[in-house]
Amino acid sequence: MKTFVTTFLSSLLVFASGTALAAGELNLFNWGNYTNPKLIEKFEKEHGVKVTITDYDSNETALAKVRAGGHGFDLAVPSHSHLPIWISEGLLANPRVDQMENFKHVSEQWRNPDWDPGRQYSAPWQWGSVGVVVDTSVYDGDINTAAIVLDPPQELIGKINVAPEMLDVIHTTVLYVGGEVCTTDKAVLRKVRDKLVEAKPKWKSMDYGIIEKFAGRDLAASLYWNGAAFRARLKNPDVRYGYPREGYSLWADAVVLLKDAKNVDNAKKFLNFIMAPENAALISEFARYANSIDGSEKYMPPDMATANEIIVPDEFKSAGQFYPTCPPAAQKMYTAIWTELQK
Amino acid sequence: MAVARQKPFVIRHMPGFPTLAIVCFFALYMPLVPLVIYSFNAGNNIALWEGISFRWYVAAWDNELVKAAAVRSLVVASFASFFATILATMAALGTTRTRAYRGQTTIYALINQPLMVPEIVTAVALLILFAMIKEATGYHGYAYLIIAHTAFCIPFAYLPIRARLEGMDKTLETAAADLYARPWPTFRRVTLPLMLPGIFAGAMLAFVISLDDVVITEFVKSAGQDTLPTYMLGQLRRVITPEINAISSVLLLISVILVTLIFFLSRNKTA
Repeated sequence: MKTFVTTFLSSLLVFASGTALAAGELNLFNWGNYTNPKLIEKFEKEHGVKVTITDYDSNETALAKVRAGGHGFDLAVPSHSHLPIWISEGLLANPRVDQMENFKHVSEQWRNPDWDPGRQYSAPWQWGSVGVVVDTSVYDGDINTAAIVLDPPQELIGKINVAPEMLDVIHTTVLYVGGEVCTTDKAVLRKVRDKLVEAKPKWKSMDYGIIEKFAGRDLAASLYWNGAAFRARLKNPDVRYGYPREGYSLWADAVVLLKDAKNVDNAKKFLNFIMAPENAALISEFARYANSIDGSEKYMPPDMATANEIIVPDEFKSAGQFYPTCPPAAQKMYTAIWTELQK
Repeated sequence: MAVARQKPFVIRHMPGFPTLAIVCFFALYMPLVPLVIYSFNAGNNIALWEGISFRWYVAAWDNELVKAAAVRSLVVASFASFFATILATMAALGTTRTRAYRGQTTIYALINQPLMVPEIVTAVALLILFAMIKEATGYHGYAYLIIAHTAFCIPFAYLPIRARLEGMDKTLETAAADLYARPWPTFRRVTLPLMLPGIFAGAMLAFVISLDDVVITEFVKSAGQDTLPTYMLGQLRRVITPEINAISSVLLLISVILVTLIFFLSRNKTA
């Protein structure tokens, strides 16, 4: 209680003085519950900088606040789908991440992503994939296909969840029926619509938060993200993660320096810091997604370094791709299908 | 009058009233029951019961981020409810203790504007306005949050104070004036003590409203200004543990205590 009172009083002081200590600060604007406190502690100790983390809950909120200006943040962590918008709207400074000392640790496949050509603007944070999660005690057939949710086997009907994310669901279905992502080809989109409308009655739910439900065996399959699949397996050893061979989407979050950052030097130190393998491992250890840093496996918890959910098996590597936000014409048709699906 | 002879219209005796009331209360309070129950879950899971324990309350208490956010929420709510109550008291006096004047209804509507305008509209408007001020002045402190919270708390403080003033007997003030008390002593010795329960009720209501706010805070907050509700919002997409239930239950408890106090304070006026 005493500490509580002291903190209360000291925050009054901070309020009164307006700004806290000006020297040695860094303001990170990141997704909630996504930053390992150990990582921050280590950075603070090594560089004598006080790091403040502020949360957001969607790419849109983050973008809106940064666009408005005057936000006081130095670094933000947008997703690959939105990063080109940040760059093209001139919201970012270019810290030349590709010339930083620790850039040599970034894996070859992450050095030149489509959404940040030459990787000048963004340092890798975490990445993952959209695949299928299956309880193999219920169904032990082939799980590396989107048929698990779109043409489900008898055993899984009525026990399927689908993440309520429009782009993830429609991209998966477009690839499943053999189309191209962001297509405006009506024949393909008709197939997509028919497939989804046909599959939906076989689903149980379209929700976030699957880990508990796999643990309690309320669900037997789901279209979802790999990190959650991994955590579900830790609670229910029969859970496996499948990479749809018809094609699946990848996503990545990356750290960027804002144009109006006040603590540019500290921010650059942080960008370089998180590309060191032992620090990248701390990021992954907390939120349980892969980073893009070679050699970080050595520092990861042993259950992660070999996990099929985190380390993509070679045969499925080529099926995974990053997809940008679709052009408005495609977006409009996607939304129409999505609305119909929600009915 | 002929009307008086009819059976009095008592809404509680209308057919279907008890059923409808029970359904409404059920819909309002039922979702809170599992929330509170699972805050005592011994397991890691918000849906899988594994026995009773206080571990999530301990976990929340030991979580520095939760503690810092809770303190921030309390500081903002204290300041905002303080300023909102002062302004609301003045507004209530200005709209009840005067001769009727033109535009009184308009003023009433303007004071209660935050109740009508969708919160997201106010939030976006404040985001844009404050961003300009932040850029111009370079000040990023708590004043923005406090000003924003004060603004939307005013009607919540205003309504109980005004209700109290309207229920008070004006002849007491007239009597004081008759006994040669000047306006200020009349206010300090007669009006203020009588309206005090209304002021407390209004202050507490404003405090609770500020404590619970998400949308406006999310848009107005600067670096390092996560309050408890925005901190909780940030957790939702990822792993949810019963820690969130524990924090919610504590917030709920604080709200219930304050609302109960408000009830007893505002009941005095009829007693």
